[in-house]
Amino acid sequence: MSRRRRIRAEFVAAWHAFLRRRTAVFFTFFFPAIIVVIFGALIQTQPTGGGLFAEPKGYYIAGYLAVVVLFTPLSRIGSTVARYREGSRFEKLATTPLTRSEWLLAQSLVNVAVIGAAALLLLALSVFVTGTAVPTTPATLLVVPFVALGVVLFCGLGAIIGRVADSQDGVIAASNAIALPLLFLSETFVTPELLPAWFRPALGLSPLTYVARGVRAVTYPEATTAALPNLLVVAVLAAAFFAAGAYAVPRTD
Amino acid sequence: MTAALAADGVRKSYADVTALDGVSIDVERGAVFGLVGPNGAGKTTLVRALTGTTAVDGSVSVLGSDPADVEKSKIGLLPQSFSPAARLTPRELLAQYGGLYDEARDPDDVLAAVGIDGAAAEQWYETLSGGQKRRVCVAIALVNDPEVLFLDEPTTGIDPAGRRALWSLLEDLADGGTTVFLTSHSMAEVERLADRVGFLNEGRLVAVGRPTELIGEHGGRSRLVVETDDARSLAGLGDVGADTADFPFEASATDGVLSVEGVGPREIDEVVNALESRGVEFESLTWKQPDLEDVYLELTGESFGESDDDVASARGGGR
Repeated sequence: MSRRRRIRAEFVAAWHAFLRRRTAVFFTFFFPAIIVVIFGALIQTQPTGGGLFAEPKGYYIAGYLAVVVLFTPLSRIGSTVARYREGSRFEKLATTPLTRSEWLLAQSLVNVAVIGAAALLLLALSVFVTGTAVPTTPATLLVVPFVALGVVLFCGLGAIIGRVADSQDGVIAASNAIALPLLFLSETFVTPELLPAWFRPALGLSPLTYVARGVRAVTYPEATTAALPNLLVVAVLAAAFFAAGAYAVPRTD
Repeated sequence: MTAALAADGVRKSYADVTALDGVSIDVERGAVFGLVGPNGAGKTTLVRALTGTTAVDGSVSVLGSDPADVEKSKIGLLPQSFSPAARLTPRELLAQYGGLYDEARDPDDVLAAVGIDGAAAEQWYETLSGGQKRRVCVAIALVNDPEVLFLDEPTTGIDPAGRRALWSLLEDLADGGTTVFLTSHSMAEVERLADRVGFLNEGRLVAVGRPTELIGEHGGRSRLVVETDDARSLAGLGDVGADTADFPFEASATDGVLSVEGVGPREIDEVVNALESRGVEFESLTWKQPDLEDVYLELTGESFGESDDDVASARGGGR
């Protein structure tokens, strides 16, 4: 009961604090929307050859979702850690019963709620803008745990970045430096065939690869991988990154 | 009875800088301990050592336990540069921090106790004045009704009326048995609130005692300060070897200000008569008893002309 009370108190505060930063809310939803508009409507898929995207439109839905699952928690948790450090909030929290994992869980739940809504918007937008059909089977609901676990995973990584970077500026720079290569080297928008053969095994090192493969498995009928093995990998990685992130949350100077 | 707080031979260094150099203190339950010293003296580091938010060499205990093991609900902390979420209201902030404990005081009661109520309790934290913000921070430290309260410069930025209200609140808490560990740059605050005062300078505790004891030991004597527009009229007064047969007082003169040492209330007339007989026309007379500020200046080796900013820049700021 006390644990739930603590997590709830921190969740409610973080939720209100986020919703009242209007620019943060706007760009959290605007960023994935603009990605869909640029890639889905302006560049478009040209399966007959030419253009940046040569795969069928449905292939890229996983990529669009990967954008929000990756970027938003990474930068949000990282900058939240930096903001807490600058305001001596961790020093204060260290003298309360709230543990580091409870703090990170509360922040992660806020991100799951926010990014879940953004992902839903993005999914609807990509269907509307690109005209792609998403399968309507029970298996499609597996998108939810993929997004939720992916968010938790990158919240953990964001906490580590927040610990290592010494300011909000540092967090933004570090997040971009990590997120950009991950986005394009995780079977999101760039197919493995477009990469050198010697590099392809490295795709398995990116946690985002398993999110993209899993989401594709349930949103793109021609997908070549199964959902559940990827879900298992994402769950294990989410647990590992969450544990590492909770350990990284500062409690002393 | 176990001391509420105890530190024995506490040492802490940051790279080549020694923040604490063998500090030992103990604070009885229900007592108010004031810690003073220049910026960078190590006050905040000692608070962190006692709250377990920094690792130190030496031993530290809170309510008889290691700070890491003590029941968190028994501790309240206001860090020096604490800044809670900017876009929550004071009431929401109290609900947030109160929610971290199994039992907490009613947010409205705590806010009212620090003078935040009505519209101020419903405004975003970032829109409050500096003094209101600090009072909300104090309220956050009080929300769990702690047995031991650490306040790192709690009244910084608070106006005189608000400061006095906060002092009354802290006095009430102490009367109720709360142990208070207070750091401050306000000697008046420490002199009023603290049962015992520790002076920290360059990481070393240079004096500890009751305010009256410290003033008696280090504060010097009472003095009469005379200000005049005609600095030349003070010629000879306070100069070593000068003829002072008609002015038999120990004095020093600088830039038109004469400080006559060891003058009791009954000797003021004699000093004034002696000055008038020498033709000194003075603008003001101020009789001053020694206080903790004199103790501070004596123990830290600082002079009256040195501002806080000067001290901060000379010592590299707080740590």
